Amino acid sequence: MAATPSLHSTSTSASSTASRKILSHYSNIYNSRSPKLPSLLFKTKSQATITIRIRCDAQNWSAGYVSAATNHHLHSIQNPSPPSSFSIPSASSSSSESSPSKRVCLFFCAETKPLAQRIAAESDSIELRSISWRTFDDGFPNLFIPNAHGIRGQHVAFLASFSSPKVIFEQLSIIYALPKLFISSFTLVLPFFPTGTSERMEDEGDVATAFTLARILSNIPASRGGPTSLVTFDIHALQERYYFGDNILPCFENGIPLLKNRLQELPDSDNIAIAFPDDGAWKRFHKQLQHFPTIICAKVREGDQRIVRIKEGNPQGRHVVIVDDLVQSGGTLVECQKILVNHGAAKISAYVTHGIFPNTSWERFEYDDGGDPGAGLSYFWITDSCPLTVKEVMNKRPFEVLSLADSIAAALQIGQLF
Amino acid sequence: MEVDKEETQNQQQKHQQQVHLFYCVESEELARKVAGYSDLITLQSINWRNFDDGFPNLFINNAEDLRGQHVAFLACFSSPGVIFEQLSVIYALPRLFVASFTLVLPFFPTGSFERMEEEGDVATAFTMARILSNIPISRGGPTSLVIYDIHALQERFYFGDQVLPLFVTGIPLLKQRLLQLPESDKIAVAFPDDGAWKRFHKLLDHFPMVVCVKVREGDDRIVRIKEGNPAGCHVVIVDDLVQSGGTLIECQKVLAAHGAAKVSAYVTHGVFPKRSWERFAHKNEGGMENAFAYFWITDSCPHTVKAITNKRPFEVLSLAGSIADVLLI
Repeated sequence: MAATPSLHSTSTSASSTASRKILSHYSNIYNSRSPKLPSLLFKTKSQATITIRIRCDAQNWSAGYVSAATNHHLHSIQNPSPPSSFSIPSASSSSSESSPSKRVCLFFCAETKPLAQRIAAESDSIELRSISWRTFDDGFPNLFIPNAHGIRGQHVAFLASFSSPKVIFEQLSIIYALPKLFISSFTLVLPFFPTGTSERMEDEGDVATAFTLARILSNIPASRGGPTSLVTFDIHALQERYYFGDNILPCFENGIPLLKNRLQELPDSDNIAIAFPDDGAWKRFHKQLQHFPTIICAKVREGDQRIVRIKEGNPQGRHVVIVDDLVQSGGTLVECQKILVNHGAAKISAYVTHGIFPNTSWERFEYDDGGDPGAGLSYFWITDSCPLTVKEVMNKRPFEVLSLADSIAAALQIGQLF
Repeated sequence: MEVDKEETQNQQQKHQQQVHLFYCVESEELARKVAGYSDLITLQSINWRNFDDGFPNLFINNAEDLRGQHVAFLACFSSPGVIFEQLSVIYALPRLFVASFTLVLPFFPTGSFERMEEEGDVATAFTMARILSNIPISRGGPTSLVIYDIHALQERFYFGDQVLPLFVTGIPLLKQRLLQLPESDKIAVAFPDDGAWKRFHKLLDHFPMVVCVKVREGDDRIVRIKEGNPAGCHVVIVDDLVQSGGTLIECQKVLAAHGAAKVSAYVTHGVFPKRSWERFAHKNEGGMENAFAYFWITDSCPHTVKAITNKRPFEVLSLAGSIADVLLI
């Protein structure tokens, strides 16, 4: 950072213009691979020092200046137009050479290894790290984090999967240990937040295990970077977001963009209608899918029975995709399928973010290769949030796995470069 | 008039002291024994079920009646798989507007094998203590946490400020039992290592003591006697817990070699993973395998208790009375 051009004014608008000029002047010395955030020091005519820091993430750059003389806080100047017009190396999410993304050390458990590998493949800045998972004779975990010194000052993440209560304790031990190894930040990626999917809090004695899990996670120690970030997809009950304490920062993502991408690839993408099995699903997802014709189902009581009816919308002749956050045994989906076929749907598919399928209940879903939507599904899309299911249904029609890897890799890159 | 007032006051006091004791499935027998010690302790029940996805489906019976009452939960974390369901109850009970909440966890697992030697070693004892330190407070304040003979004395510092650990010991039960042995037995107490000596010698200082130590000879680790003389004594080896029992067997050999008349053992926690208690069981009357005259354990580890009941040389000394006393503090 050699020459110090002079600024003629320290007023806000003039400085903004001056800053932009300076930035474009110095864009060619901006080193995108530098681990330290570049900052440019300028002296004004009155010898007051102004520091300009440049931030760049996948899509945007922004610059801020701090005037030491007047103790202004960092003012942020967002780029109002695409980066290319300022001849600053434009950062696209696919080319990591030019974008100064933060390096992340990604730990994982046995169940999540395939997904972790896919995530690391999405970005050069994500590096896989291993853990030694053993058990003592008494059944309790015997854990070791190799090269623990090597993660000091690094951004660290752990890809967890609580597929059953018995795997929680060993993963939790790692989750509680990592932040205290003097790392610069900690992110817990828990694609599927179990519990709470079947519980109803109706009586005073009902025990909300979702509360237990949220409490356990809210108690993750802070790291140098502050509270842990928790990345999770399509949390089942929207109110569960309020179960988390203040020492954790939940980042609620969803899988619908994956579905939308996939639907666009279909030959009959212009004949798709989206069906929601109940109002809950509609509330959760309709805004992201509003450019599709919509069908809403509802469960009504007829005497002792609960049957599914169509509340709104018309499936006649359509390829209907039933959308929900998760599937357990699949009973609800099957009921929806029947009623949609009765009302003239040409093809039926399903999308859920989380394919739980306890007790191999996925087996009930047959494949329809055209012509008999009552007997099977054209597609059953799930994500790889539930790795045990993915193992079982991979390459078995009608199942197709849409990977969260890209979305998780992007979520891991959110944040500052400091 | 005066007498009536006194009676009412007594009744009120009694009502205040009443403790409602919940328990996990494994600890039912111990819970019944505890309740048997006092009218003030009443057993309560929980519906322990599972959803299809394997996660717990729990219901606390008579939850509304717990308002303003003292409540306790007798837990047992015998394996990682049972922790989550018990924890859900433990986190729920204090928030039912109870007057106070006490968690009795006779055996605090984890940490009995771990060595924190390098950066990268993960202390699961820390995880466990952290989970327990996060129990919500009740109207009565922080939860009281009752633990018997915690393995590593420093583990007491792993707990946060939101819980009040009460560290108790099973040694009084041993002392009582020793008083019942024939007077002719010259009882001496042996410690398998310095750790056990540090932990227990003050409670047993009226007995002659033998202290053992493990030394390295080449690649082998062998047990030697560091202090004391077992000759002619009924030596009772005392430790907080036993895992596979290897250490105890080595100690017994050395003590016998130095002239001990009889050797017995006491541990508070009989962990005995993978049925390792079998190597201590008496095979036949007076055979060479019957190295231990008595092997005392408490009922802190219910799985073991079930396995060794009525099998010589094992005898179970119950913590029930001690727990009842603590609950009525």
